[in-house]
Amino acid sequence: MSSRRLTDLLSHAYLWFCLILFILPFLALLGYSVTGPGGAYAIENFKYVLGSFGSNLGWSFRISGLTLLLNAIFSLPCAYALVRFNFPGKRFLFSGLTLPLYVPGAVMGLSLVLTYNFTYRLTNSIWGLVFAMTVGTFPLMLTPLVVALKDLPPVYEEAAQCLGATKWQTYWRVVFPLIGPGLSAGLLLSFIIVFNEYLVTLFVHPTGVTTAPLRVFNLVRTAGLQPTTAALAVTMQLISFVAVLAFFRLFGTRYLKGTYLI
Amino acid sequence: MPTAETELRRRELNRRLLTVGLITPAILLVILFLYYPLVFIFRMSFTDTDSFLSPGGPVFTWANYLAMVGRYWPNVLITFQLAALAMIADLVFGFPFAYILVRKVRYRDLVRGFMVFPMFGALYIAFGMRFIILPGGLATPLFQALHLENAQVLYSLPSVVFAMSIFTFPFMVMNIGTALSNVDPTLEEAAACLGARPPQTFTRILLPLTRSGIVAGSLMVFGWNIGAFAEPLLLGSINEQRSLAWTLYQRGVVQTDYGLSTTMGVVLLILAFTVTYFSLRYSRGALVE
Repeated sequence: MSSRRLTDLLSHAYLWFCLILFILPFLALLGYSVTGPGGAYAIENFKYVLGSFGSNLGWSFRISGLTLLLNAIFSLPCAYALVRFNFPGKRFLFSGLTLPLYVPGAVMGLSLVLTYNFTYRLTNSIWGLVFAMTVGTFPLMLTPLVVALKDLPPVYEEAAQCLGATKWQTYWRVVFPLIGPGLSAGLLLSFIIVFNEYLVTLFVHPTGVTTAPLRVFNLVRTAGLQPTTAALAVTMQLISFVAVLAFFRLFGTRYLKGTYLI
Repeated sequence: MPTAETELRRRELNRRLLTVGLITPAILLVILFLYYPLVFIFRMSFTDTDSFLSPGGPVFTWANYLAMVGRYWPNVLITFQLAALAMIADLVFGFPFAYILVRKVRYRDLVRGFMVFPMFGALYIAFGMRFIILPGGLATPLFQALHLENAQVLYSLPSVVFAMSIFTFPFMVMNIGTALSNVDPTLEEAAACLGARPPQTFTRILLPLTRSGIVAGSLMVFGWNIGAFAEPLLLGSINEQRSLAWTLYQRGVVQTDYGLSTTMGVVLLILAFTVTYFSLRYSRGALVE
């Protein structure tokens, strides 16, 4: 075999080796999650997931949904202003708005729990958790929207207004559909992060609201390794993976540029 | 009678108001739920333990910061160490990966599909790895071949660093990959034509040209890993569990030593911000001008 073919082969082998390493934890948990007592195969673990952990999954979905909604509400107008209007300090504003992404989770969690306790009095409400998630993933929604708006030539809006549309109509009928992929990218990224979030949740969650990843975290620390916990972890990852796949299928990878998922 | 001038001014004013209206909700959100809390803990870091709550009011003290360079210095050090080692691991293994991905591979989307898995959460990585390394777990034959004890590997620095580097590997690959894709492949071919051996091409051509991507990626990985929480906890011995994020939780939430934990938070924050600031300066592309 020529040395070039050998290097090619080795290269691909190395790549696949790394990729397998990436999904190895997932596969290991997957394998573990279908074992039952005595080493037999058991799908009951997944039924357990839906049953006992169902409330946790429910909370996860609820929090994710609320966060996505808030994120969209806050970032759609903001992205539009950032791209279409001129005002001083734009870069500074954008940096300031993107900063939450770079705050370590523990620090955000601690600062929020203390502020909620002592100033805002927000500890026993689900909204404390939702706003924490919103602020943490806001940049992930804003950036794809900014990218999408930048790609959209202003001529469409100008044409619509020439044809007599009001600003509102222009926005909802022309701009909004055309930035759909960007919005979906933001929704996807926020969903992935919030759905699997356990760190800030650990600090901020109201008693009685335990999202699924937090449940996994607590269980691993207290009950050690259990097939049921593994089943829950596997379910979470599967749901996330399906979401990512669906997005890639529908929209391709263009709009994730700059957000570091791509 | 409305002149063109006043009409223009009115439009300009409307536009200004609209701009303000559009960006204010986002600004409020970020100030209320990010910046103010950060300022809050900054103030609290100068108070003594939980004197913030005491009837006499907060007691102002430098003691917390002194403790950070005194008693808790090992915590700072181990945090640094873990992040640095993970960064090096990501560099060493990530550069070839990025190179192969950018130069040689046609099935990039498939690779990207695999690469999302680590991003779902360090928790799953740590959990899965714990399961693999456990005595009787999947890696047992491998360890036996290397004459290692499972328990020895499980709660140790290498496994923590390994898990951390898996989690941030995609970030490194993406940064380096972007930089590499901006390097013209014909340059490498030209070097080879002129007689350069591969190591020379690497050090003299690739490295200098991808330097910004390497630095950006390394700093980003480092900054992210400073706040590592699940990996040291689930995979580390007592020594690794001293990393700042977990200690912060212990002291702050469990033991309600607010002064100390907020100090740790501030230290973590300053570290992360500094690192990220330089990382962003090195990476390409401002999205908003």
